[in-house]
Amino acid sequence: MSVILVESLSKRFSRKGQWTEALRNINLELDSGTFVSLIGPSGCGKSTLLRIIGGLETADAGKVSIGGMTPLEAQASKVFGFVPQAPALFPWRTIIENMQLPQEVNRKGGAAYESNREDETELLRAVGLGDFTNAYPKELSGGMQQRVGIARAFASGAPILLMDEPFSALDEITREKISHQLMSIWEKHQKTVVFVTHNIREAVFLSDKVVVMSSRPGRITEIVDINLPHPRTKMEENDPIFHDYVHQIRALLQERWD
Amino acid sequence: MGVAGKQNTSRLNAKGAGATMMDIKLNANRESGITFDPSSVPSKKFAKTRRALSSSAPPTVAFIGFFLVWEALVRLIGLNALTLPAPSSVLSELFGHLSFYLPHAWTTLYEAIGGFLLGSVLALTGGIIMAHSRLIERSLLPLAVLANVTPISAIAPLLMIWFGFGALPKVLIAAIVTFFPMLVNSITGFRSVDANNYEYMKSLHASKMEIFLKLRLPNSLPYLFSAARTCVSLSVMGAVVGEWSGSTEGLGNLVMLSSNNMQMNQVFASILLLALMGIILTNLVRLVERRVLSWHSSEQSKG
Ligand SMILES: Nc1ncnc2c1ncn2[C@@H]1O[C@H](COP(=O)(O)OP(=O)(O)OP(=O)(O)O)[C@@H](O)[C@H]1O
Ligand SMILES: [Mg+2]
Repeated sequence: MSVILVESLSKRFSRKGQWTEALRNINLELDSGTFVSLIGPSGCGKSTLLRIIGGLETADAGKVSIGGMTPLEAQASKVFGFVPQAPALFPWRTIIENMQLPQEVNRKGGAAYESNREDETELLRAVGLGDFTNAYPKELSGGMQQRVGIARAFASGAPILLMDEPFSALDEITREKISHQLMSIWEKHQKTVVFVTHNIREAVFLSDKVVVMSSRPGRITEIVDINLPHPRTKMEENDPIFHDYVHQIRALLQERWD
Repeated sequence: MGVAGKQNTSRLNAKGAGATMMDIKLNANRESGITFDPSSVPSKKFAKTRRALSSSAPPTVAFIGFFLVWEALVRLIGLNALTLPAPSSVLSELFGHLSFYLPHAWTTLYEAIGGFLLGSVLALTGGIIMAHSRLIERSLLPLAVLANVTPISAIAPLLMIWFGFGALPKVLIAAIVTFFPMLVNSITGFRSVDANNYEYMKSLHASKMEIFLKLRLPNSLPYLFSAARTCVSLSVMGAVVGEWSGSTEGLGNLVMLSSNNMQMNQVFASILLLALMGIILTNLVRLVERRVLSWHSSEQSKG
């Protein structure tokens, strides 16, 4: 059952009288409970697409339906859990208070999701931050803050999580570790996740579906279904099928590069 | 002097650490109290006390030094008491007539605080409006700038004509000097929210009100406190300027009257009280700030 439906979507931006075609004729159908990655060169419109789906930006043409609602209606009924590139933690709130922010605002839209401290601490523990519930963000490293952002999205009760390169500022090792944590949480909660990344291995490891995009104008080149068994966290480091997918997507990206 | 300062420090330290007073007294008798080594006590509470002392010790020493040099100069050169009275005679004037000075101090204090509060409330209201509307900011901020660059001492007599010689015009002057720094800092504080955090609130479909209360307001607190720290002492100045333009009480009034009569002890006693008032008010703000802004990064690095 498709929960996110994007039909012939286009978006242009003008800067100093110059038009950039950020997205051209995007068609996408994403099933509920799947993990989908958007991958493509810088400037191909990944963030723009994610922001349009989340109701943070409006399209010029085309249609987006989130389970029958427009993005703004969906946003108003607290469908989205947003994880931006930078952690977006409020420095004056402790970690647990930051986790509770989604429940505190827009109460009309989210009466169904009550803050549940047990779930919140459980999720913090799952990302290895069980001891930091009452710490302030400044006491955490960048990677730890990013993990709070992920835990918060899962704790919020939102059924669709939109993540825009949440790991881009992290080092390789931390990145791998956190994506493992993300995978094991996801395997437990099975939410719909749209995940923007530049990292091919990360995309293959996490996703059920990888949407490969190209730039100028931004469009979808190919959608690759990743048929790797779960739990992925137990997957062999050099699984040949995994590598085949990585090579396939790399080739698709390179094709468009020249 | 240096030794006196050190002695003092180590004694207070010992108290903080909960060491027996007996030891210290013995040490003090034997070796003038400097043998106690604070670093040998690994107590967290103690470290805090020590940090507080090591940061307050140098200014204390400097203050005492300043007054000692002043006292010595007056005595050695034999300055006329009409030019510069010795600190000792100022202090004895002040403490000999406390019941005379305190009501005046009280008058100035409430004029200043009243003005500070009034100015702050008006500035915050203005700040909320201007932070949400560029148009209103563009039209009204220049007016506020104009009011700010006009010398307050030129406006003061006018306010006396309009509002008489009571406390009201002084409160208004203190409010005027408080208003502008608070306004500018509140606008900056409300506006300069982190773009990521703003977008995050948007993604939750937060209302304008929620964004204000949960994001803009807390974000503005460091800016507001930093303005408040300067504004409390500015408001004392405002009250004094107001009293100069026409009054029957207050420390500013005292300074004016007694300098006309060449009562230098009285002039200096009043000045001393005004300085104390400024220090106490600034530190009160700082105290509240430390409580409220424990999350702020600049608060932890301050020792
Ligand atoms: N607010 C905006 N105003 C003008 N142009 C914009 C705006 N947002 C995006 N663009 C343009 O749209 C195009 C797509 O931008 P977008 O941020 O979606 O790319 P991206 O794929 O997320 O890139 P990256 O991987 O670097 O984050 C770019 O050419 C960018 O310059
Ligand atoms: Mg992007």
